[in-house]
Amino acid sequence: MMARAGYYTTGAALAILFLFPLLWSGYASVSTESGFGLENYGRLFTSDNGIRPYHVVNSVLVCLITVGGTLLISTLGGYAFGRFRFPGRDLLFLVTLAILMVPYATILIALYVLLGWMGLQDSLLGLGLVLIMFQLPFSIFMMRNSFEAVPKELEESALIDGCNSFGVLTRVMLHAVRPGLITVGLFAFLTSWNEFFAPLILLNSTDQFTLTLAVVNMRTATFGSIDYAALEAGVMFMAVPCVLLFLFLQRSYVRGFMSGALKG
Amino acid sequence: MTVTSSRSRRAGWVGAAYAAPTALIVGVFFIVPLLLVGWMSLHDWPLLGLPEINAPENFTAMADNELIADAAWFTVKYTVIITVLLFAVAFGLALLVQHQRRGVGLLRTAFFLPVAVGFASASLLFLGLLSQEIGPFKTDEYISWTSGSPSLALGSAVVLVLWRFAGFNMLIMLTGLQAIPTELYEAARIDGATRFQIFRRITVPLMRPTIALVLTLMIAGSLLAFDQFWILTRGGPDNSTTSLVMVIYREAFIRLDLGAAAALSVVLLGVLVVFNVIQFGVLRSRRGA
Amino acid sequence: MRGTSPQRAMLAVLASAALVLGMAACSEGKTNTPAALAVDDGATLTLWTRAATEGVSKKFADAYNATHKNKVQVTAYPNEEYPAKLASAAGARALPDLFASDVVFAPQYASENLWLDITDRVNALPFKDKLAKAHLDNAVWKNKNYAVPHTIDMSVMLYSIDLYTKAGLDPSKPPKNLNEFADHARKIDALGGDVNGTYFGGNCGGCNVFTLWPSVWAAGGEVMDKEGTKSTVNSKEMADVFALYRKLYDEGVAAPAAKDEAGPTWLGALQGGNIGIAPGPSVWLGLIEEKGVKMGVAPITGISGGESTFIGGDSMGIGATSTKAAQAWDFLQWTMGDEAQVEVVAKNKGIPFRTDLAANKYSSADPRIVTINNLVAKGRTPYAKNFNATYNDPQSPWIATFRGAFFGPDAKKALDDGAAKLTASLQKS
Repeated sequence: MMARAGYYTTGAALAILFLFPLLWSGYASVSTESGFGLENYGRLFTSDNGIRPYHVVNSVLVCLITVGGTLLISTLGGYAFGRFRFPGRDLLFLVTLAILMVPYATILIALYVLLGWMGLQDSLLGLGLVLIMFQLPFSIFMMRNSFEAVPKELEESALIDGCNSFGVLTRVMLHAVRPGLITVGLFAFLTSWNEFFAPLILLNSTDQFTLTLAVVNMRTATFGSIDYAALEAGVMFMAVPCVLLFLFLQRSYVRGFMSGALKG
Repeated sequence: MTVTSSRSRRAGWVGAAYAAPTALIVGVFFIVPLLLVGWMSLHDWPLLGLPEINAPENFTAMADNELIADAAWFTVKYTVIITVLLFAVAFGLALLVQHQRRGVGLLRTAFFLPVAVGFASASLLFLGLLSQEIGPFKTDEYISWTSGSPSLALGSAVVLVLWRFAGFNMLIMLTGLQAIPTELYEAARIDGATRFQIFRRITVPLMRPTIALVLTLMIAGSLLAFDQFWILTRGGPDNSTTSLVMVIYREAFIRLDLGAAAALSVVLLGVLVVFNVIQFGVLRSRRGA
Repeated sequence: MRGTSPQRAMLAVLASAALVLGMAACSEGKTNTPAALAVDDGATLTLWTRAATEGVSKKFADAYNATHKNKVQVTAYPNEEYPAKLASAAGARALPDLFASDVVFAPQYASENLWLDITDRVNALPFKDKLAKAHLDNAVWKNKNYAVPHTIDMSVMLYSIDLYTKAGLDPSKPPKNLNEFADHARKIDALGGDVNGTYFGGNCGGCNVFTLWPSVWAAGGEVMDKEGTKSTVNSKEMADVFALYRKLYDEGVAAPAAKDEAGPTWLGALQGGNIGIAPGPSVWLGLIEEKGVKMGVAPITGISGGESTFIGGDSMGIGATSTKAAQAWDFLQWTMGDEAQVEVVAKNKGIPFRTDLAANKYSSADPRIVTINNLVAKGRTPYAKNFNATYNDPQSPWIATFRGAFFGPDAKKALDDGAAKLTASLQKS
């Protein structure tokens, strides 16, 4: 009995600690000089440097490109790494993981140069492709392990039915690795929605800017003062869609992790 | 040639075809820029105009840069602190929520929710949270939580990182914990093992691959730390929270010396690769033993 | 030209080998044609600036677009990350047609040839001699002009009229030297409560360059040599100024937050209305009064008299990779003309960077503006190629130096060590 009470007290205390910053930010974003209201959000949308509808559109487009591309590539790649042996397999896998080990600041200059050559500078597509690259270590790792965790029998029964490997992938495997796919998609969304440094460097014109750029731009609009309340409103505006999606997909991504997807 | 080998060869090509998009993205957007960075590190590389080979000057010049030595020391210190704390907190949380019981889902959600906030957003959130203007930690005597003293600044960054990343690492470790067959625990309990013995003899050894993964992620992430210091402490006070990537940023964008920045990146990448190879080797030999 | 087919991607991979050659092969634009210097033919011009200057740039662009065929499009980036943006764009040879930079960074950008050489165009200006000289000269590298003034911001003493009155001081008699400034600050600080005598950016490189150096110049001292290659931060004049502020901080006359002020909340502190007198940017006058705090303005003085100011603000030049130099110059030339200076700058309470327009129909309405405008001729803009890395950057040796002088155990040693480190940083190639 005591142990149980102790467990829940500790658990609750820790939960409050972890929820506190978000709750405070929500509170700060609606508290004004005269009580509560949406004035801070008003400034967020109406000030000179504030958020405009096209920022949201651009962010959504980048998210679509990144999530779609990451899902496609990591599904095929995860299938390859999890189910096939081919020349260069281990090398490619290690090189993909090595993406985690490169300092962002320098490689972005090289990427900027590269996108210029490809005619993709200042484009959401180019930004999306770069973000897909940065998502690959996590996604390939996750999908490889998801595919490895699928029982061989499932696949063999489909092969006996006369499917080729692609048929097996689309008819049987995709369903089996769905939790992994949702996890990969969710994290691709979170990254692309929240990314600040890559769009800053890779996008040149105002009408291509994403939400994060608008929010950070507000921070420094006037040198010498920070509109903290509007800043927290911006943080909330960025965070709420993510939090909702998170809660909505919770069952799936927990299963995605659980399906042995992140074993070493 | 046997039938199996020709079939496996064909399967090999099929596999390579599935891996082709990955190879294309990794090749074009990672290998090519990486080679370019390596190439730059051998040159005096102006923003515009003709680069000139000056190897190994970009590498030897690091010795004279006091900032690099300080930043390297700080980055190592930070990496140790974060790895120890983050590991302890995440493992603790994972142990706390590993068993199904009432309300445990809520706890998992609460610990994991900060992952939904982007790192830049999280840093901005803490900028407000820790400010004396609107933050709840306003003190009568003025204290700057983010730049009042080196330990306060470091502490603020550590709290931010713990908050943002503990849940993610908790989930990975939870995965490892749940992969341990319950029969093993039951057998140990029947043999009269204490909780601590079970933890040491069963949980930890079977968790080794997961622990290795988590440690790798933490160490690579900490050695490349940038955002939390860039937004929260600006590397201060008195350069006490200047990380190596901040020095790379300064070389590239403030001093406009792309060659020096590239050289420093190459060294940092080298350290990380060597480190991982060693860790990999240690793990493999332990596994074999 | 857009697409991501594998062929194109492969081409890009191959092209990587040609990078070095490519960079060398096309370093000269189409600027040598003897055609007209300025053209208004309906071109679209991209203009980059930092968030702090965006307001001014947009007002210029709107007024210009309304009366010209060329169209200027303004893009603003966050202040802190703006240099990174410029550097990466330059590295990819994708600079905009026009871009602004903090005037103190201009020598660095000019030396890297990020702007086009516009010496001939500047020399052809009928009002060249009337442009703020210190500002214009900062965008010169090896006797060639690379940029012209875009905005001007000067350091001045800002003081609260209310607190002056409350402390029994006469608001019409601001301090005539730095010792008097300290006395006034002490008297106001004695009011107690939330009120503090003064404020400064104790952890902000750019702030202290801007607010302390004029006191050194006013006393006849120097902080660097003219070429920006040798620091004299340990001169008596500079040491005196540090000692005075150090004392104010030790006595609690300066707000405690001053020690950690890295810039982002500097204005906010003055807008609170609880600071008696502090040096700061002249453009904040309006921003502080917006919050209902009535302010007086006075020149920054030396320890025992004299006055000077730091002429800051932004320079603007034509991006080195631009193919529309003549159109871009048409815009730049227009921004310096009588109409833009009076109807865009002065009307919005800015400082005209044409000295012959210091007195205009808008400035005469506010005597404080006349005070500010007249300072342009007395002010200086320090010149150094490595200014950002040496003074502004959060990791600069300047910050370590002045923090030692303000708060460290041994101010003299901090300044002597600092002078050596600053000189080394200034001389780094």
